[in-house]
Amino acid sequence: MNCFEARQEFAALWRNTASGERRAEILAHLKSCAKCDHAFRVFALTAPVLHSESEPPAAARVSAPARREFSLSDRPRRFASVSRETASPRRWVAMAAAAAIFVIAGSAAFYSVDAPRETLSDELSMPESNDNYQAAADPLAPEMPMTESDLAS
Amino acid sequence: MFGLSARRRARWSLTDKPDEELIREVLGGQTDSFSELAGRHRQRVERLCRRFFSDEEMARDIAQESFIRAFTALATYRAEMPFGGWLRAIVVNLCYDELRRRRRRPEELVGDFSAPEVQWMQLVNGATPEQLVGEAEERRESYDLAHRLLDTLKPEDRMVMVLKESEELSVSEIAETLGWSEAKVKIRAFRARQALRKQAERMLAASGRTRNQS
Repeated sequence: MNCFEARQEFAALWRNTASGERRAEILAHLKSCAKCDHAFRVFALTAPVLHSESEPPAAARVSAPARREFSLSDRPRRFASVSRETASPRRWVAMAAAAAIFVIAGSAAFYSVDAPRETLSDELSMPESNDNYQAAADPLAPEMPMTESDLAS
Repeated sequence: MFGLSARRRARWSLTDKPDEELIREVLGGQTDSFSELAGRHRQRVERLCRRFFSDEEMARDIAQESFIRAFTALATYRAEMPFGGWLRAIVVNLCYDELRRRRRRPEELVGDFSAPEVQWMQLVNGATPEQLVGEAEERRESYDLAHRLLDTLKPEDRMVMVLKESEELSVSEIAETLGWSEAKVKIRAFRARQALRKQAERMLAASGRTRNQS
């Protein structure tokens, strides 16, 4: 087995898919060739991700809050930087939605400020008769005569 | 005949259906058939996502999103290519988008390792190849360190590495999946291998120094 053939079989060796005879040949070559041995060690650093077929071993036990904090901080900040290169349609839709919510909330706040409010002067201009005021405030209350002509009729 | 219940027979007959038939059923309105289709490909899709992201939750989220996209775009699927390949293109594109969004590229890895990671690197430096293969399965740090090493690559380079090394796709298949020219795939693959080798050798050299010091 030459170096090229041996290096072609690194993945099979890692995945344990090489036949017994082939496996023995590769291992014998690695013992005799320092360059291929070094290449296999370099290969071994990425092989657990690139060449493993099984699920990764469980992570070390961490408390749930710490794990949550880690996973959140590990997540990308989606709106951290929007450039022409990274802008995707989905991101633009989200930004447009956020802008719309902001505009609606802003206009609602604006109109709520401009709306007439009951002030101290309003309170002072209340009708003298408390009964009349309550009657005016209550739409279901019977209409009360207000003037002399009303009383006459 | 063999005492199988009607329900179990139905399940067997369902699993015997080819992907294309299940797709026809989904498009015909039997949306339940999609869960059977997803079940067939879930493990492979999740494994592919794990090759890009060390965070299990993230890998599962992207796998899930891939199936949602596949379901919504199923009408555009053409039977000329296998469903697995079509689905893989969706997964790969989602992973690529996510990698680009992250834009995390620690240029300097050396000197920022946990104790188990240093131990693993020392093992890589000193153990026999058989020991390495056996130990890597048991050690979480081997997986984490490999991810850290791959994180140093540009997203484009990483895509090519995963598709070439893990999925064992040819240059033309990678080009077709990513919508790139074959020349670009070759250049990316060459650069990725060089960059990885450079980083890996620095790591091994650093761990060798640590061992000599201790």
